[in-house]
Amino acid sequence: MPSRRRPSGDFQAWTEKTLPTHLGAIRPVETELMARLRDLGYDEDHRFAVRLAFEEALVNAMKHGNRMDPSRQVRLRYCANPECVEIHVADDGAGFNPASIPDPTADENLRKPCGRGIMLMRSYMDEVSYSCSGQEVHMIKYRNP
Amino acid sequence: MRIQTRREGGCRVVAIHGSADTEASPVLREALLGAIEAGETRLVCDLRDVDFLCSDVLGVLITAYLKARGRGGFVRLADPPEPLRELLKTTRLDHLFDVYSDVTAAARP
Repeated sequence: MPSRRRPSGDFQAWTEKTLPTHLGAIRPVETELMARLRDLGYDEDHRFAVRLAFEEALVNAMKHGNRMDPSRQVRLRYCANPECVEIHVADDGAGFNPASIPDPTADENLRKPCGRGIMLMRSYMDEVSYSCSGQEVHMIKYRNP
Repeated sequence: MRIQTRREGGCRVVAIHGSADTEASPVLREALLGAIEAGETRLVCDLRDVDFLCSDVLGVLITAYLKARGRGGFVRLADPPEPLRELLKTTRLDHLFDVYSDVTAAARP
């Protein structure tokens, strides 16, 4: 899905990282992104939303994509500027079809302990799209949607 | 994340402080499920001081809720800040959990 608005290339400062498949690798990059958003003046609601989607995307990539295989990696790319936050997360897994994930808010699924990550990413970000293979998710949160 | 527990009104109150993220969820799992295994089936999670909560931790709360219910008890949520209230609403888990304005209300029989 194309983005509604994209900051100009000059305006972007992309951060690129390759993370090991290890849940302990998430917090440091999350802290770094949150500090960047604070510096840019994003309010608490925006920071909560981006942090949640960021964490869910990385956890999904490690747990469901890479199946916690330490030989696999997660590639992260993000750009935060005064207009929006844009995040790409890619894993080394087999990919999946996002449409195949059951709705976790359906009555019959409410008691299931798993399966809420994708729904939360969609709920808290303004744009969420997947590559054809399902190995990469792309998310955008606008400051003024 | 930091966890403190105490007894109040016949319940075990588990007060969670800070960020309840994926890395921290095993600690919460151990605290809640350990309490249930030890016979404490009336649990109140004090969320007043929680600034972040991820889906993994929601899963821990659901697992604890099901285990406590299976033993005739409960897991109640107390005083979630607005972002957490919104999260419970978004996930519709406010239909599963009883959510109270404070711990005292949650710990009432």
